[in-house]
Amino acid sequence: MPDPVQSQKEMLTELSPMEHLLLQHEVEQFLYKEADLLDRRLYQDWLNLLTDDIYYWMPIRRTTTGRNTDSEFTKMGDMAFFDDNKDFLEMRIKKISAGNAWSEDPPSRTRHFVSNVKITSVTDTEITLDLNFHLYRTRLDSVEDSWLGRREDKLRRVDGQLMLAQRYIFLEQTLILAQNMSSIF
Amino acid sequence: MRNKLIANDSWYNVETGLLDRRIFSDPDLYQEELKNIFARAWNFICHDSQIPEAGDYFRSYIGEDEVIAVRDRKQQVQVLLNSCSHRGNTVCRADQGNTRSFFCSYHGWNYDLDGTLLAIPGYEDFYRSDIDKTEWGLQKAAKVSNYKGFVFATLDEDAPSLEAYLGWVGRLGIDQIAFRGDIEVVDGIQKNRVQCNWKIAVDNLFDWYHPKVSHGSAMDIGIATNADMHPMNQMVILGEYGHAIGGPGLSEESQLKIVKEHGHKKPTSAYDRKEYTDIWRATDQARETLGPVGVRSRGHPNIFPNFWITLGGTQACLRIPKGPLETELWWFTFVDKSIPPEARREFVRGVSHIFGPAGLLEQDDGENWAHSTRASIGTLTGARPAVISMGQGHDQVVEDPSGQSHINTVVNEHGQRWTYRSWQEWMKADSWDSLMRNHSKAPEGKI
Ligand code: FES
Ligand SMILES: [Fe+2]
Repeated sequence: MPDPVQSQKEMLTELSPMEHLLLQHEVEQFLYKEADLLDRRLYQDWLNLLTDDIYYWMPIRRTTTGRNTDSEFTKMGDMAFFDDNKDFLEMRIKKISAGNAWSEDPPSRTRHFVSNVKITSVTDTEITLDLNFHLYRTRLDSVEDSWLGRREDKLRRVDGQLMLAQRYIFLEQTLILAQNMSSIF
Repeated sequence: MRNKLIANDSWYNVETGLLDRRIFSDPDLYQEELKNIFARAWNFICHDSQIPEAGDYFRSYIGEDEVIAVRDRKQQVQVLLNSCSHRGNTVCRADQGNTRSFFCSYHGWNYDLDGTLLAIPGYEDFYRSDIDKTEWGLQKAAKVSNYKGFVFATLDEDAPSLEAYLGWVGRLGIDQIAFRGDIEVVDGIQKNRVQCNWKIAVDNLFDWYHPKVSHGSAMDIGIATNADMHPMNQMVILGEYGHAIGGPGLSEESQLKIVKEHGHKKPTSAYDRKEYTDIWRATDQARETLGPVGVRSRGHPNIFPNFWITLGGTQACLRIPKGPLETELWWFTFVDKSIPPEARREFVRGVSHIFGPAGLLEQDDGENWAHSTRASIGTLTGARPAVISMGQGHDQVVEDPSGQSHINTVVNEHGQRWTYRSWQEWMKADSWDSLMRNHSKAPEGKI
C-alpha cells in the first residue's frame, strides 16, 4: 500500500512550475470569491460552494506550557466551537437570515482576509491548503472582534468547479474575547 | 453618589419586587461582592476527572482570586492561590496540564504540588538564610471539598461544610449531573467574555420568559421547539443561601407515564432529547437519589453564586466576574464514560450546537445581557428600578412529605427574586456567622 501522504506529495512535486503557479492562482481566486460572498452577505451563494460532505470544525485551544503543547488543541470528537456538517451549516445560514437572530440583526459588518496560502497536497480531485486568515467583525457602534488563525481547507474539483470540502479552523485565541461567534469563518 | 449606594440598606425590595439597577455596574459594590460573596461562598473549581493524575492541574478563579486546582503526590486535590509569596507573580500561566512543581518565572521561587515552598534562589548568599521557608508557601483555599466528584473551594475558614452549604437544593442540582452515571468532563472548556454583569447572566438561567423572543430564530429554524423553549409547566425549588432550581417540571402523572414506558430502557443515543431530559429519571434509583419531587424537576439549578447546571444535567456554566461590566462564561460538558463512542460523538457535537459562543442558542444571549448591563450606568436608566415582580404573590409553596418543598406554576421570576434576595443578605452580612443567623430560610406558604 502506498502511503497516501507520500503519494500526494509526489503529485505536488510532479506539477511543473507553471502548473503550480496556475493552480495557486486558481485556488486563491476561489478563496477571494468565497470571502467576498460572506462579506457581501450572499450566504446562499456561499452555501453553494460547499460539497455535501463538507466538515467544518474549530477545536478549542488552550494555553499550555511548552512541554504540554501536544494538548494545545482539543482533538476531533472532543469539545469544539464548530463541529458542523452541511446540514448544520445550512441551519446557521438560515438562522443568520431569519430576521430575529439578534446577534446578527442589525447585521454585523465583516471583512475576511486570507493570506500565506500554501498548497500542501494535490490529488486528482482534491487540493489541500494551509493558509492564514483574519476575520474582522464590527457591529452596532462599538463592538469589534478580530479573529486570526490558520486554516486547513480542502478543495475538491466537481464538474470542473472548485468546491470547499473541508475547513479546519485553528484560532489564535484561547479565551474567546467576543460575546459570540455568529460569523462564518 | 456611588458610595451612597453602598450605604443604602436596600437594593432589592422584597415587597415590591423592584431592584436597584445600579447593582449591575457600581464599582464599589463589585468590590464588596468579591469579599462578601465570592471569597465567602463555596465556589465550583473543577471536576475530579479533569485532574486524574498527580501533578495534573486546572487553573480557575474564585472571584478575582486566581487559583490552581492540582492533584498532589498524596492524590489530594489542593486549591492553591496562584500568586507567588515573594512579589505576587502568578506561578502557573497555563490553563491546564501536568507539572512537577510550580516555578515562579520572576525570581525562581519554587513550590511543591501542595504549595510548600521548596526553594528560594540565593537563600544563603542573599537572604543569609534569614527567611523561614515554611512561612512562605503558596496560600491555600481555606477549605476544599468534593461532592460526587465536583470540587469546590472556599476562601473562608468559617464556612459550613460543603454539604451543609449546598443543602438539599444544591445537592439536587449537582445530582442532576452526577446521577447520569460514571461521568467525566469532555476535554475542552469553552470560554468567552460577555460585557455584562455576572448577576445578569445568573438571572437569565431562571428566565423562561426570554427564550421565545431571544431565541426565536433558533426556534424558527427548528433547533428548539416551542415546547422546549416555552414549557407551560414550571417547577421552582428554592434553597437556603441562594441556591435555586427553576424551569420545566413534570407532573406526577407524566413522570409515572415515563417510568411505565421507558423504565426498563437504558439510554442509547446520548443526544435524544427525550432520553436526555426524561428517560434517565425513569428508575426507582433515580427517584431514590433525586427524591420524589427532584426526579420531576427538569429546570436549571444554580449553585449560588455562579454555577449553572443545564437542563438534563449535561453541561454546566461557570460565570466568572471580570469587573462589574464583564463576565467570563466557562462551559463544562459532562458525559457518562460508559456510553458507546458513537453516542458520545453525537452528544458532543449536539451540545456544541446549542451553547458556547458559537452555539445557536447562546449566540443571541450576550448582546441582550450586555445592553441590560449598560443601561444601569445611565443617570436616568440606572436610576429606574428593574422589574422582577412577575407572578409575585400568586403562587404557593407546596410542602411535600419528603421535605422537598416546591412551587408548581407558570413562567415566573421566583428564581430571580430568590437570587437577589439572597444576594442582598450575603452583601449585608459581615461574616459567615452573621449570614447563618440572618439569611432567609426556604420560603413557605404564599409566595
Ligand atoms: S515574584 Fe515569584 S520569585 Fe519573585
Ligand atoms: Fe438564553
